[in-house]
Amino acid sequence: MLTISKLARRFGLSRSTLLYYDSIGLLSPSLRSRANYRLYSEKDVERMELIDLYRQAGLPLKDIARILDSDQGTAKALGARLRTLGEEIRKLRRQQQTIVDLLRDEASLRETRSLDKQRWVAILRATGLDDDDMWRWHVEFERLSPEAHQDFLESLGLGDEEIERIREGSRDRKREVS
Amino acid sequence: MSATNVTVEQWVELFRAIGLEEPDMHKWHEEFEQRFPDGHQGFLEWLQIPGSRITEIRRRSAGVP
Repeated sequence: MLTISKLARRFGLSRSTLLYYDSIGLLSPSLRSRANYRLYSEKDVERMELIDLYRQAGLPLKDIARILDSDQGTAKALGARLRTLGEEIRKLRRQQQTIVDLLRDEASLRETRSLDKQRWVAILRATGLDDDDMWRWHVEFERLSPEAHQDFLESLGLGDEEIERIREGSRDRKREVS
Repeated sequence: MSATNVTVEQWVELFRAIGLEEPDMHKWHEEFEQRFPDGHQGFLEWLQIPGSRITEIRRRSAGVP
């Protein structure tokens, strides 16, 4: 059993809406508390669920009342179908949102002008360079211009420690080669 | 990226030094263009390549004749 406030909250309606439903005979609580407060039974809640469903389907209240009070079989079938449609629409909306999110991610990734280490390495790997080639590239870069090497690594967002490690590694390898 | 002391010639020299040939460099542009078109633009600007030349490079990288 639910009080009018609890029923209202469950369906996102105001108390006055439920009072109005009562006044037009669309949904009247089956029970009263000892203090004469409206109490909605399980069956009333089921009826409210159908009303909610038909409201979402855009049916006017007087049509809803007619469906509910006439042929129960038809109403049930309609209700079941409506529920299925509602669930499918919700599912499609979620899929739609997921796709929008994915597209947004991809677009923002493609649109960014800044490169990070991961992207830079991905391009070099796709070009066919392996780790040794990349190390040779660092060695050459360090030889060509230590400042530009430093600057380029900073632009890829590497931390000071990693940059120092790479540049030191480049100098060490150069000594090994020469 | 703010370093101004790397020229496009030096960059090419860098790639040659690690064994990249013309076709490899073309592939590198292609990959760059396909994966991060705006990053490609930014990088070419960083090398201070003139705009018209950048357009040409990017068009060729995108497979447009």
